[in-house]
Amino acid sequence: MTALLDVDGLTTSFFTRRGEVKSVRGVSFRVAAGETLGIVGESGSGKSVTCMSILRLLKTGGKVVSGRALFEGRDLLALDEDEMSDLRGNAIGMIFQDPMTSLNPTLTVGEQVIETIIRHRPVSRAAARQRAIELFDMVRIPSPEARLRAYPHEFSGGMRQRVMIAIALACEPKLLIADEPTTALDVTIQRQILVLLKELQAKLGMAIILITHDLGIIVEFTDRMLVMYGGQVMEEGLVTAVFRQPAHPYTRGLIAAIPNIADDNGQRLRPIPGSPPDMHDPPPGCPFAPRCPEAMLQCRVPAPMIQAAIGQSSRCWRLHPDAPRPVEQDGRP
Amino acid sequence: MIAYLAQRLALMLATLFAIITLTFFLMHAVPGGPFVSDKMMAPEIAAAINAKFHLDEPLWQQYLAYLGGVFTFDLGPSFKYPGMSVNQMIASGLPTTAKVGLLALLSVIALGVPLGVVAALNRNRWPDTAVMAIATIGVAIPSYVIATLALYVFAMRLKLVPTFGIDDWRGYFLPVFALSGFWLSYVARLTRSSLIETMLTDYMTTARAKGLRPGQILFKHGLRNSLIPLVTVIGPVAANLLTGSFVIEQIFALPGIGRHFVLAITNRDYTAIMGITIFYAVVLMVMILLVDLAYLALDPRIKFGARHP
Repeated sequence: MTALLDVDGLTTSFFTRRGEVKSVRGVSFRVAAGETLGIVGESGSGKSVTCMSILRLLKTGGKVVSGRALFEGRDLLALDEDEMSDLRGNAIGMIFQDPMTSLNPTLTVGEQVIETIIRHRPVSRAAARQRAIELFDMVRIPSPEARLRAYPHEFSGGMRQRVMIAIALACEPKLLIADEPTTALDVTIQRQILVLLKELQAKLGMAIILITHDLGIIVEFTDRMLVMYGGQVMEEGLVTAVFRQPAHPYTRGLIAAIPNIADDNGQRLRPIPGSPPDMHDPPPGCPFAPRCPEAMLQCRVPAPMIQAAIGQSSRCWRLHPDAPRPVEQDGRP
Repeated sequence: MIAYLAQRLALMLATLFAIITLTFFLMHAVPGGPFVSDKMMAPEIAAAINAKFHLDEPLWQQYLAYLGGVFTFDLGPSFKYPGMSVNQMIASGLPTTAKVGLLALLSVIALGVPLGVVAALNRNRWPDTAVMAIATIGVAIPSYVIATLALYVFAMRLKLVPTFGIDDWRGYFLPVFALSGFWLSYVARLTRSSLIETMLTDYMTTARAKGLRPGQILFKHGLRNSLIPLVTVIGPVAANLLTGSFVIEQIFALPGIGRHFVLAITNRDYTAIMGITIFYAVVLMVMILLVDLAYLALDPRIKFGARHP
């Protein structure tokens, strides 16, 4: 089966006065139609830049250095700007992190939905308005007809994110990229928004790339996951497989760092010691090696993705058939 | 809305009252007077003149009489131009000043904003550098230097425009250019920085992520939001330009209000000083009110009459 989105060797850098920041270094992954791919990683791991590169919405100084991103067989990175803007908001929708700032404060929310529909569909204004009402109803904004005339500042954060979802889904995209859609929201609202996204996915059949730093969200809402660190994919696999047996020491560190109410008897949090690499000058080989409890000399050489289990692979030399057996980590059963 | 306007109007009247009072007493506190001169004047003539203009009365009485005049729109007779009232003085200077000022204001907006947009869209490329270089010169060089240079080049050397007066449409070019130079540069710079800042906001990324056309993104989403800080300065700029500039009016020999004002001060023409000050104050306050109303149209987050914590 061909993938809806096939990203291969994506490399993106930001060219700043201090030099080149290698934000994304050879990221490859696939998204099948209708599936949910979670991308998890800490700030600066390159997860957002990966998605912004695919949509070609990088901020000033950002440039895709190499790679391909085939969407339904067409390379997004090779399209001209007109063709690209025909796809954005149409076949590919996007939701951002902060609903407080992602909507234009000087236009009514209705206008912001309607203009998207008119841009991509040959419909009259009245028909677009009707569609906007349906969309508001679909994302459960109460009294949609009246709310269409309201401005963003008259909405709560959760309601604004619903507006953003309505905009992203206005043209029934095949792929929805949600970049930390709930990070800026209250915990209770977070769940509502994610549940809504899953429902809408079931209804419309789109694929979702869900970027988050919250492993809890990954477990509950995604099918497959990508763990990013230092601009590279560290581990990829079915969520169930990765959580059952994480193959990369970084993934293990992340999972161990989740606070657990059940077995916690006044136990401290278990952070991963050290800090993320400086992407001006990332370490040679594995970016996690300087913090890795299992690092060895070989880790200074870039590792390939190695299959760890069925539907799971990891960029770690420890999985290599010739690698020495990993040491037991303390604190782990 | 009506309640808000009424409130603003009352506030304007109170401000005007304060301006009149302060100006009146400060002006009288300065030693000397309109009829004090080097030439010896017979005491009886001086007394007669003072009596004619009520300068012999106690100050508070003069003040009350003046205040009464102002609120019936009578700014009194000029002390220096016999037979001419201050109302007439303003009326005679206003058309010239307003015509030149309005053209200057138009060129500030019609040229300053587009130049700023061009610079912002070509950030750090040559059009940006060119616009910003010219704008920096425009902000740095005083208008009278620009006026003098322009006079020399365009009127004296190239003989494209007359050296003085606005009897002919070509006469407007240099005064308008000299008057608008500073503010045009200022507005171009402000538009540039405001638009660049707007371009970096999240909602501009959203606009692009929706696949909107570049024109829609720039005008509907970008420019409208960038105009808000611009409107703030346009009010005072408009008041400034519409009330004229003494220097420019002097250089181009324009019979405007600015000249009257400066001459009134050197002549100690009490009523003229007061009258023109009041006129300036009213123009400025009206412009500021218009700016506030423009905010309402541009930014739906602003609600009039709402109390802010």
